[in-house]
This record gives sequence, structure tokens and C-alpha cells, in this order.
Amino acid sequence: MKFAYKLSASAIALAMMTGMSFAQDIEIKNAEWWQEAGKKFDGTTLRGVTESTPASNYIADVLAPKFEELTGIDVQIETTSWDQMYDKAIKDMEAKTGIYDMVYIEQDIVYAYLSRNFLVDITKSLNEKAELKAPEYSEDNFTTFAENFRGSDGDLYGVPMEAFIKVYLYRTDLFDDPKIQAAFKEKTGKDLKPAKTHAEYTEIAQFFTDYGKENGMDLWGTTAQAHTGHPASWYEYFESVAPTFGVYDWGIDANDNYAATVENGGTMNSPEAKEALKWWLSMRDIAPPESVQSTWTEVATTFAAGRAAQGLVYGENAAWIATDESKSRVVGEVGVALPPLEPGVMEEAESGKGYIGYYDGGAFGLPVTSKSKDAALLFMQFMALPEIQEDWAAAGSRITLTSTYDTPKVKEVDKELGGYYSMLRDDGKLFKGAPEYPFHRQVIEATAPTFYEILTGSIGPDEGLDMMAQKAEEELKNLGYRK
Amino acid sequence: MQSNRLGWILLAPTLVILFFFGVVPFFYVLWLSFHQWNPFALDPAVVYNGADNFRALVFDNGFLASLGVTIAFVFFAVLTELIVGYLLAQAFMKEFPGKAVFRTIHTLPLIMAPIIVGSIWKLMTTPSIGIIPSLLASWFGFDLNIGTSAVAAFTVTVIMDVWHWTPLVTLTLIAALVSLPADPFEQAQIDGANKRQIFWHITLPMIAPALLATVFIRLMDALRTVDEVLMLTGGGPGSATRYLGVHIFKEVFPKTNYGYGSAVSIIVLYLTIVACWLLYVALIAPRNKKA
Repeated sequence: MKFAYKLSASAIALAMMTGMSFAQDIEIKNAEWWQEAGKKFDGTTLRGVTESTPASNYIADVLAPKFEELTGIDVQIETTSWDQMYDKAIKDMEAKTGIYDMVYIEQDIVYAYLSRNFLVDITKSLNEKAELKAPEYSEDNFTTFAENFRGSDGDLYGVPMEAFIKVYLYRTDLFDDPKIQAAFKEKTGKDLKPAKTHAEYTEIAQFFTDYGKENGMDLWGTTAQAHTGHPASWYEYFESVAPTFGVYDWGIDANDNYAATVENGGTMNSPEAKEALKWWLSMRDIAPPESVQSTWTEVATTFAAGRAAQGLVYGENAAWIATDESKSRVVGEVGVALPPLEPGVMEEAESGKGYIGYYDGGAFGLPVTSKSKDAALLFMQFMALPEIQEDWAAAGSRITLTSTYDTPKVKEVDKELGGYYSMLRDDGKLFKGAPEYPFHRQVIEATAPTFYEILTGSIGPDEGLDMMAQKAEEELKNLGYRK
Repeated sequence: MQSNRLGWILLAPTLVILFFFGVVPFFYVLWLSFHQWNPFALDPAVVYNGADNFRALVFDNGFLASLGVTIAFVFFAVLTELIVGYLLAQAFMKEFPGKAVFRTIHTLPLIMAPIIVGSIWKLMTTPSIGIIPSLLASWFGFDLNIGTSAVAAFTVTVIMDVWHWTPLVTLTLIAALVSLPADPFEQAQIDGANKRQIFWHITLPMIAPALLATVFIRLMDALRTVDEVLMLTGGGPGSATRYLGVHIFKEVFPKTNYGYGSAVSIIVLYLTIVACWLLYVALIAPRNKKA
């Protein structure tokens, strides 16, 4: 027993030392300013709640201890599931209990929080309290992703801490294999390369599913985030697939009385939406069997296990899939490309009328109910310092400052990732986050049961999308947005 | 008089906690059920809407479907737990090698948090890669897919509940069986009663109060099942396992439809009370009347 205690104690000590050494590795410019600024908050404890993601875990494990070492302000970050995080944050802000000083705001929740005036205007607060503004902090440092967290007044209401795009990942070892290339050529008469259109993607997916079957391999042609009881499937269709067919913003037209049905001016049940759904369902049918139980996490795991030749995968997982041998079987064998598109969609994206995929991420917001707003403002600026971004980007596949792209570690990982970071920088503008609606979960939960019935085959895709569009309009009417 | 006062003093902390964490939330939910409130509506105010939420329930296909599958789930899960739990309790009344070890292992699921149970079963039943579908496919050529088959998903949720909660039934029934006097059994044996007669006319009536208490507990628990099922199937495929607890969770938390969700909660509470009362009337009241 004593040995077990010693072993546990050693393990904890080692873990703490590792964390501390990570924290000590980061050199903060102008450390004296931070020490001085933190003096008046000595003994303060800040509490934050966030989704457990690679980027958030880095905050809890590395940035929080470093900040405490520098300022004396204790930062407790609670990392939990998305549902728990959302529930805790909402309840705290709704009941005005002031438990949390920082809450994770995923890009698709910010509009709901802004509509309820839950968040502190960070731009205004820092302008009013010059003594709190860190010399190295500047809103100009952020990438354009920060625009998602600005209010209608142009001020910032959240400090971006993670940002990524949902990319088309493919297995370079399979795509570059001469034998496979020859087999593909023989079967299709075409060269094997990442698809640019849905037809090409289908051809490749079918080829690899057949190839896996013929060769007794656990290999399928595509991933599919197609859970039959979790909104992850809804998200994949509306945010990653439908836009590639030219159906944007979930098919709801905010400028036309929040119309969703075609007859009222929406596109949720348009011919393009129906074609997109049928295509996606056909891909689901040739994806690994676990796809019907897969959310975003499982899709990444499926790809990392080497069970899919290609697929749409959230960028937050790209780094570990491509580099972490303890979790992934396809290290060094991953390439990235833009999602396959229907003709005309790229032109619409380039002109700003549309987009080609999902740009996701989150920020830390400061609830108006926080009891330590000033200390929290300090920590949030600390998260946005250029000198702490490099390791954070390499660990969490996230970039929120433009200067981070040019750091040596990011350049190195970019090579291993087949150019993911370069794509984020150069083509990020072609992707878009969730639409600016304050009713995300409400519309999703109103329409998702029908969507799940479509996935199980109880309702056909055409009929199902008609029903969903009507349900969406009903819910929007109930919520008061649709007149 | 003094001991009475001491009793109230000792009870006071429990009563205070019960008041704030039981009574107050109940009346809050009751109050909310007569209001329309969605904090993310254009008008987030709490508005009194009479019995509209309850009226809407009657025509809500989602709720009615959820009620149907919940009744089926409760029936199969609780009945199986009672039968298996009784058989195990009888087995534990006898001596056999390794009894202590087996009894400990058998009790382990009981101490697991429901969310963990859901995670374990999810890992075990993930189509094609979970151990259960893999073994079923290789041994019997059976394709178990809880992501597409409503029957498979429903059955797995019942089995998971049985796995998790049968030990509670077993422990309760062991306690009841141990406390039974030996005389009636000896007399029955002398009178030549067979095992089936002894079970129906002596064992069952004597353990009925404990059995009924167990049924009440399991019935109430099964009617409000959320965590395990949410983790395992998310309520799917489609709405095949969207039991009332899951339905309420989805209405209240992601959809933030607090008023309507409260109304559903009140109805579920009412149904639970009615079910328990019916069971009491059917099983215990006639015995009390005879006595």
C-alpha cells in the first residue's frame, strides 16, 4: 500500500513538474507589467468553464499556471462536455449567481448570448480602464475569425481562443500508393487525387469501400458524422454538406422573415438541399458501420484508426491525427484539401455570397455577472499575447492571431499536416461559421427528431426536408422571430 | 416532551435541506408549467399561459411517442429485474464456492454512475467495433446495429438497465428472504406442499411488501432514466429510445423550452404516482382488507 501511495505521489509530482516546466518555458515579454497589474488582485481566484477540447485543455494545464506564476491570480478552468458547459454557463448567467468569470462561447452561441446581454463589452472596458490594458494586447492582432465575436457596435465580446475549419482529410499513403492508383485508373479511367466535385468524391469513396471489401481490410471510402440521435449529424449536413451544394445559413433567410420553406422564400427544402441530403446519405451508406453512432469525436477517431480513406473532419483534431502516435495510426499519412463542391459554389464563396464549409471555434467571454471582471480582463488579454501562441497552436490545431502562422513550430506542424495551417490562413475566408441567429439550439432541437427519422429511413429525404422546413418556421414563429 | 424536541432538532437539518432542494424546486416547476418561457425567444419574459402547455401535450406526437416507448421500457426492464433479481437472491441464500466473490462482483454495477454505465455500453455496442456486435457477428452472423435498428437499440437499453439495477433488487430481496421466519416453511413441507405452492402461498405473500417497495423504487427510477440512454443512443435511432427523461432533457436544456418542459415533468410525476397507486391497490390493499 505504501508503495502504491509513493507511486501515486511520484506520478502527481511528475505531472505537476511537467506542467510547471511547460509553463516556465513560455517567456512573457514585459513580465514586470503583468506582475504589477496582478498585485491588486493578489489572492483572487478566477473561475472559467469551457468545453474539453485540445485548446481548452492547454489553457487549463499550461496558461492558467503560467498566469498565476506571473500575477498571483489563481485561475481555475473547468473543462467538461459541451452540454455540461452550456448548461452551467447559461444557468450561472441566467440566475446571476456570478460563479464564473469566464465562459466558453462557441461561435454558434455568441449571438444568443449577445441577444440576452450576458457578456461584457471587452473593447469598451479596456478603453475605459487604461491601467488594465496590456501593452502587447491589441485587437488588431486577431485573425478575421474575431469578427464572429463582435457585437453590432463593432466591439469585441469574446477573446478568440480556438479557430479551425472543417477540412477534407485524405490518406496520402493510400492516394500515393502506385498499386492503388493503378487499380483506381483501371476501374474509373481517372487519376487518383483528392476530389474537387461531389461526383469525384463519390467515385473515390465507392472505390475504397470496394477495395477494402475485396482485400479483407477494415477500410471504407469516407467518414460520415451520421449519429441517429445526436445533433452532430444535423450539424454535418447543414454546416458542412449543404453549403457545398449552395444551401447557406441552414436554408433560413433571415432577411425574409426567417423563411425556411421554399414557398415562403427559404431554401431548407429546396431541390439543392434535397440533392445534398441524398448525396450525403449515399456517402453514409458506404462509410464505416460505426458512422451511424458517430459524432465529431468519433469521426476523428475513425479516421485516426485508419478506417477511412477520406472524409470531412473538424480541424481541431487534424493535428493529433497527423502527429500523435499514441492516438493515431495514420501519423504522417494525412493530406488536406478543400471540400468537394458543386459547380458555381466556389465562385459564390469568393464573391462573398456563399461559403464552402464550416469555420468553427470559440472564445472566452466575460459574463456581466462576474465578480472579478477586472482580473478576468487581465487573463483574457494574457490568452491573446503573441508569445504564448506558438506552442498552443501546435498542441491544439488552432490559430487566432495572424502572427502565429509564421512561427517555426507552426510551420513545422503545417508540413506534417499537409498544409492545414496554410489552408486556414489562405482559404479560411472561404469558410463561414454558424449563421448569426440567436436561436441555434431551439431550431435544431425542433427539427432534429425529423432529421433522425430521415437517417433511419422512416421518412424519405424529400418529405423529411419539407417537414423540417415547416417545423423550423413553426418554431421561429413560437419564438417570435417569424411574424 | 424533551425527547420530542430533541427529535425535531435532529431532524431539522434534513427538513431544511428537503425544503430547499425538494419542496421549493417542485413548486417552482409547478409554477413554471403554467407559463411560457424560453430565454432565447425574441421576448424572453415569463408569460402566464394557463393550461396551454398541458393542452399542447395532448397533441404533441413527440411526447406521446416518448410516453409509449417509456411504458414499454419500464415494463420490460422492471419485470426482468424482478425475475432475475429474485432468482439471484434465492441463489445467494444457498452456500456455494466463490459465493462472496460472485456477490461482490454482481453488486459492482450498482456503484457506477449512470453516465459511466452509458459510456461502457456505448463502447461495447458501437456498430462493428464494439465487443458485443463483433462477437455476435463472428459467432452467429448477427448484425447488431443500435444506430439503425430501433428494436436493437430498445433491447440494449433494457439490458443495460437490467445490468445496472438488478443488484439493487437482489440485495433488497436477500434482506427480505433472510428475515422470513422458518416455521411457515417447515409446516408447509410437513403438510406436503411442493416448491411452487410454497413460493405462491408463503414466500411471495411474505416478501410482497419488500417486493412492492422495490418495484416502486425501480419504477420511479426507470421512468426518469436519462443519463445512460442519452450517452448510449442519444434517444435514437430516430426516437426509438427517446424515453420521457430524455425527452424532457432535450426540451429543457438544449431547447430551453422551460415552461413546456416543466409541464412534461409534472405530467411524468403524476403518471408515476398513479402507477404506484395502482400497484398498491392491486397488490397490497386486498391483503390489508382481508386482514
